[in-house]
Amino acid sequence: MSKDILVIGGGIAGIQSSLDLADMGKKVHLVECLPSIGGKMAQLDKTFPTNDCAI
Amino acid sequence: MLDVGRHPNINLLAYSEIEKVDGEVGDFKVTVRRKARYVEEEKCTGCGACKEKCPTVVPDAFNEGLGERKAIYSYFAQGIPSTHTIDPDHCRQLQGKKCGICAKTCQAEAINFDQQDRILEIDVAAIIVCSGYDVFDPSLIPEYRYDQIPNVVTAIEFERLLSASGPTDGHLDRPSDRAIELEIEAFEKKAKKSQKMIQKFEDKYSETSADLYAKYQKGEYKDDEDRVKWAEKYAAHLAVMEPLDALKRKAESFSVAKKLAFIQCVGSRDFRFFPFCSGYCCMHSIKEAIIAHEHETETTSTIFGMDIRAVGKGFEEYKVRGGNHSNITYVRGRVAEITEGPDSNPVVTYEDTKERKVKSEAFDLVILATACAPTKGILELSNILGIELDPYNFVKTSSLSPVDSTRPGIFVCGCAESPMDVPESVAQASSAAERAAESAFQADLKKEEAVA
Repeated sequence: MSKDILVIGGGIAGIQSSLDLADMGKKVHLVECLPSIGGKMAQLDKTFPTNDCAI
Repeated sequence: MLDVGRHPNINLLAYSEIEKVDGEVGDFKVTVRRKARYVEEEKCTGCGACKEKCPTVVPDAFNEGLGERKAIYSYFAQGIPSTHTIDPDHCRQLQGKKCGICAKTCQAEAINFDQQDRILEIDVAAIIVCSGYDVFDPSLIPEYRYDQIPNVVTAIEFERLLSASGPTDGHLDRPSDRAIELEIEAFEKKAKKSQKMIQKFEDKYSETSADLYAKYQKGEYKDDEDRVKWAEKYAAHLAVMEPLDALKRKAESFSVAKKLAFIQCVGSRDFRFFPFCSGYCCMHSIKEAIIAHEHETETTSTIFGMDIRAVGKGFEEYKVRGGNHSNITYVRGRVAEITEGPDSNPVVTYEDTKERKVKSEAFDLVILATACAPTKGILELSNILGIELDPYNFVKTSSLSPVDSTRPGIFVCGCAESPMDVPESVAQASSAAERAAESAFQADLKKEEAVA
């Protein structure tokens, strides 16, 4: 029986869940339908309210 | 993003889709289709030499079609994985024509036109769905004329125009102006060709084309085949130069967009489309207006909305700061119509509810704060996963278990659950991660108990 976790979608939510689980010591499979992860957030220039760069 | 690519515990399966999910919590069997990139992931170094040589130009989806990419591409410059991908719908070689330039250029020998989709079987204990959202298509709202007026753009398109790595290098060039500049480029190419042609004749006969043409029009050289050809070429050259000069004169007055209008609730809080509030768009518009003002201090922005929902830590202060320091005016009123005025300026007609008057005002650029729509693929995905959706097609959850889907062992976070901004998505993602780990642990415990 596997203890791995599957994450569907590589946007900001998928990235955060994957990193949290991976840091817990879980093996994570992150599936993204586009060629690169990042999702909509990667398309943003800056994020509010701090105006930090999104990437 | 870089951390995901490097983390030893993360198996990154980009350019892949879920085909089938069997089993139950603690013991899911998932079938994943790894779509063929036609580039071998282990070999590609991401150097980008292939895309420089690729002859096929395609509109760039990452830049919302405002820029261009090649048929072999990396989704965006800092993308993880950095592996390039061939777009099979546009690649000459994969369309059966002769090309293969990328394969000749690639020093890592990573190009493989014969690559096939691969099917993977993965065993997992729990699943997290974070399939995100789609930008609402504003062309569904006829009165905003999004597909007719080039200078009406969506918030995400505006985001790409603002970005230093975007199609305009961060300059707020208006789409109508950019279209004319592209036209000028095309005409210049033609003009260069025709200029070369008539230059040859001028050198041969040591006479200017204008003189020749004047004489030709008077009826001279009728029997001189070579000179008749020259006159015809010169006439064709003039036919290119005249519109080119006219466009160039027009382009002299172009400057970056400085008078911006933001229209809130485009598709959301609208009973024709989505009755819900998308949550992030108010702050998104304020942020875009502040950044635009940072780029060009003369920029003024008007945000048209029913109300500005600045709910969140530091959000109200951000809104006030925008008004005080970034030339933002907030107008309470819903926009009735956008039309096109002189100089391709969109004209916004709205009711100013403070003055109780209907007004019209022209802007350089209008930005539509589009709703957070459920993804098109969510119906298929929810069928595969066996989870229920709510009436709008977001994943169904309950208020007491906000990240649990209707199927045990499957969790949801981010805009797949409901519209939310980045900080909220991050918080919910951590919550879903914890729930997934917990349910995997409990399933494991149950199994051990059963064995004992």
